[in-house]
Amino acid sequence: MEVYDYPHFCLQAAVCLLTDVKNGPEIRKKIVQAATCQGEEGNALRDAVNFAFIDARLITSILHLQTAIYYALLAQSQECLRTKTVHSEILWALNPSNNISEAIRRYGLSDSTTSLFVVEIGAIPSHLDKINAIVDGTVSPFARLPEITDWGTIRKYHKLNNELAIQHIEDTTVANAMIDEIVISTVAMKSVSQ
Amino acid sequence: MPGTLKRSPLKRPERPYIALGLEGSANKLGAGIIQHDPDGSTTVLSNIRHTYITPPGEGFLPQDTARHHRQWIHSVIKDSLKQAGVGIQDLDCICFTKGPGMGAPLQSVALVARTLALMFNKPLVGVNHCVGHIEMGRQITGAQNPVVLYVSGGNTQVIAYSQQRYRIFGETLDIAVGNCLDRFARVINLSNDPSPGYNIEQEAKKGKKLLPLPYTTKGMDVSLSGILSATEAYTYDKRFSQSAEPSPENDTITPADLCFSMQETVFAMLVEITERAMAHIGSKEVLIVGGVGCNERLQDMMGIMARERGGNVFATDERFCIDNGIMIAQAGLLSYRMGSVTPLSETSCTQRFRTDEVHVAWRA
Amino acid sequence: MATASLIINSTQISQGAEAKVYKSYVHTSFDSDAKVPILLKHRFKKQYRHPSLDTSLTRARVAGEARALLRCLRSGVSVPGIRMVDATESVLGIEWIEGKSVRMLLGGGAEGEDEQVLDPDQSFDDTTDASGESVSHLDPLEEYQVTIDGVMGLIGSEIAKMHKADVIHGDLTTSNMIIRHPFAAKGPSHTKLVLIDFGLAYTSSLVEDKAVDLYVLERAFASTHPDSEPMFFAVLEAYKNGTGKDWTAVERRLEDVRLRGRKRSMVG
Repeated sequence: MEVYDYPHFCLQAAVCLLTDVKNGPEIRKKIVQAATCQGEEGNALRDAVNFAFIDARLITSILHLQTAIYYALLAQSQECLRTKTVHSEILWALNPSNNISEAIRRYGLSDSTTSLFVVEIGAIPSHLDKINAIVDGTVSPFARLPEITDWGTIRKYHKLNNELAIQHIEDTTVANAMIDEIVISTVAMKSVSQ
Repeated sequence: MPGTLKRSPLKRPERPYIALGLEGSANKLGAGIIQHDPDGSTTVLSNIRHTYITPPGEGFLPQDTARHHRQWIHSVIKDSLKQAGVGIQDLDCICFTKGPGMGAPLQSVALVARTLALMFNKPLVGVNHCVGHIEMGRQITGAQNPVVLYVSGGNTQVIAYSQQRYRIFGETLDIAVGNCLDRFARVINLSNDPSPGYNIEQEAKKGKKLLPLPYTTKGMDVSLSGILSATEAYTYDKRFSQSAEPSPENDTITPADLCFSMQETVFAMLVEITERAMAHIGSKEVLIVGGVGCNERLQDMMGIMARERGGNVFATDERFCIDNGIMIAQAGLLSYRMGSVTPLSETSCTQRFRTDEVHVAWRA
Repeated sequence: MATASLIINSTQISQGAEAKVYKSYVHTSFDSDAKVPILLKHRFKKQYRHPSLDTSLTRARVAGEARALLRCLRSGVSVPGIRMVDATESVLGIEWIEGKSVRMLLGGGAEGEDEQVLDPDQSFDDTTDASGESVSHLDPLEEYQVTIDGVMGLIGSEIAKMHKADVIHGDLTTSNMIIRHPFAAKGPSHTKLVLIDFGLAYTSSLVEDKAVDLYVLERAFASTHPDSEPMFFAVLEAYKNGTGKDWTAVERRLEDVRLRGRKRSMVG
């Protein structure tokens, strides 16, 4: 887990990469419950899952994720969130289209998710125990991300297969670096993308 | 201007020099007499102008303008000599506008210059009109090494001096700013007296609404034709009313609103490219010359920009901004003092004469 | 006002005609020292402009610059990546590129007045050299492992790619092209030349706009680099190779624009 400091927002972001996640469907169930349940019990449920759960397969680099986090922080500070919370805003920022449910379907937790980024934004992020309490997986260093990233799906979602930038590049490392840059930039300029 | 010529190749004159300048490249006919003294000072002895004014809705045509110049040149020159208190025999040289400008008016004035030179055996000096504006502006304002915005009916240029040339950093890619304003004045039937630009400026003061117009700067260049057609298009808009009072509340578009919007947009573009040129060469001074340079709103905007950069704006009033004979005398005399005269066989005029073609021998 | 306070804690690098440029750090980690700088470009208010014109223009330019950059990236043009956009406060955050402008590399500003240059959006001077040492005694071309011909070729081919993507830069000058320092290169196959400052960029497929774009560059070459004709010729050669069949039309129009621009001065 790493914690990033954003003093100009008076906020921090804790980011944790978990691999070999076994209880994807269970976490999803809890998220749905938290959304529907009311009263005291609902608040406790919501607090337990008050994170952004992001499918790590669609993240090209840590900077990619950081850029989405930054976008969400800025949107929140200017009171122009497009979704309900700063956490869901991260998912929305990651998706190239403006469709909220599509963003959550694609970038959020699904039953097939085995590698997961958990992000928490707050004045002082919670302890790792809170994440371990909900996710059954192995906390891993970010250096493992290259094994996880699914470049094919990213190309598809960002409609990159016919783009000049990567069309003629044979070397996949070079092509992936290009894709990473395009994807980061797409997230960064989300607020002005037409 | 002793300070400005410290390392100048131009030596102080050993005796007073006097020059007559004749200008008639467009609809203004001017004659002016200037004197350079051994102490380094410069005196405007006279500056006479007569303007050919056309009825509202009409521009000036070359032939009619030339006819006007032929008709008035005698009295304009006589007045300038009389006011200066000198005779033609006292002159050191006769300076005339070689270009750029309209062919027929230029030729009619050059012919007079040649005739006087032959009659009184005086050397001729052909002058670039734009350089005339710049030199007169520098002389009057004392600006040392300014970025020059030259804005008139035929020219829109951002100029800076470098290595004995006035180099053009930016210019219009289509029509000149004065042309743009004049043509719009015709569209809304504003008077050409004293000048269409002046009347647009007065009208703009009553404007209340800023209407969106194309804002086209390309690097240090601007494009103005789109603004002219867009402003013109507003006059066909359902909301347009020639006679309504301008008001911020309703959505009526009045001529005053259009003048205001046009000035705000066009001048913002001009100030922007001037600022880019200043940043590019690291200058803090800006000098506005040419007929449109009289516009006080343009001077204001330029002043705000220059102050933000810790610099100054220099502008002159209508005596020197609008085409005149004295500026031709000034630039011509500088050139003459560097030993340059134009042989009779080379005193033809040219409609196209780039500012950067002139060798500025008198500056370091 | 978060972006404003981010700027307060950043280092100003330069002030151009339209924007102040800062070096800043975001995503600072408590757990590691790795710090990646970004470049913040703040378009400040222009007091001389009518406020509503200024607001709409600035917003449009921040957004336009970001869109142009993304379009370039997707078309394989070498430009800085985008890091953040705050159109409300007129701030664009982009990838920090360690290097030197082509203008500096060519010894631009040989003219007397150019010595005090405070260049628009030019933030990559000697002072920010990657090695952190004074290397001014070295021939910059040697230090950057490039030749003039090589640089001209890169300029032409990058502009060709950009025009193929219908992006018109709007302010092509040698100050707006950076050569990455060899230490900061992303790898051997990575383009060394980076086009920057898309503040006046727009999209257009018109031959006219592409020709004017080239003309603006030609003029910039002529005004900042004496005897630049052979250099600009080399740029056009590479551009020609990059654009293929589109070249003929652009070439013809460039001729027109030159005539128009150069001989336009008419009535005084």
